[in-house]
Amino acid sequence: MSDSPVENRVEAQWLPAARSAGLLFLLLTAGCGGVERTPPETGVPQGEAVAVEPSITRSTDQSVAKPPAKVSGPARKREASPPLDLTTLEKRLKETDAIGVFTKIALKNQVDDLLDQFRAYYQGRIKTTLAELRQPYDLLLLKLLSLLQDRDPSLARMVVASREAIWSILADPAKFATI
Amino acid sequence: MSKRMKGWALIFVMMAFFAGPSLAADEAALAKDMTSVIALLGLPCGQVVSVKRQGDNDHIASCQDGNRYRVFLNAEGRVVAQKL
Repeated sequence: MSDSPVENRVEAQWLPAARSAGLLFLLLTAGCGGVERTPPETGVPQGEAVAVEPSITRSTDQSVAKPPAKVSGPARKREASPPLDLTTLEKRLKETDAIGVFTKIALKNQVDDLLDQFRAYYQGRIKTTLAELRQPYDLLLLKLLSLLQDRDPSLARMVVASREAIWSILADPAKFATI
Repeated sequence: MSKRMKGWALIFVMMAFFAGPSLAADEAALAKDMTSVIALLGLPCGQVVSVKRQGDNDHIASCQDGNRYRVFLNAEGRVVAQKL
């Protein structure tokens, strides 16, 4: 305790502010501690999720997103398959917290390696077949899905939904050349 | 001790109290990241139990099964896990 009246006055002014700051800090951090991150759309059945991809509507380009046409019966599932949005997929993979930074870089390394293999195949530098190249592609996708399925299920579904569309690009030399 | 000093002491204690769990969460996230990287590279590990930071993008990961790896980003931008 200080004896000076000036210092006492300053302390008297300062202490309530310090207490308030401390309390605010306590409340803010206590709020963070109690919050569990719940994955979005966990109530959606897995089977339907593959056919209908709700996350695709989160595309940044809202002008492209259109409400789905009303189609009844089994045809609905087939027609509801979303168009491939590589930009959104790439953006979401970059932004997801489900995969750590090192893992993202390692994954990118492996994607680049696979693309190099396709490039070499189309240039005739390696003797292989598309069927053989499908195996590392599937393996890489499985690795990605194993990382995403628990921590970012909506993105995992997006990857599953895009699987064949991405393969159709890789397996077509003309489309592959545009990557 | 003056009231001002007590106030600062209180703030520092609270910061230390709450910064601890935050650092622990960061370490857990890093260990998880290292576990994923090592698995992705097809190396035996199980789960990373501790990570020691050596520098920027350079860590020593100790695995549950006793293996230790130096996980780093090389000059070509590739993530490398080197068995120690």
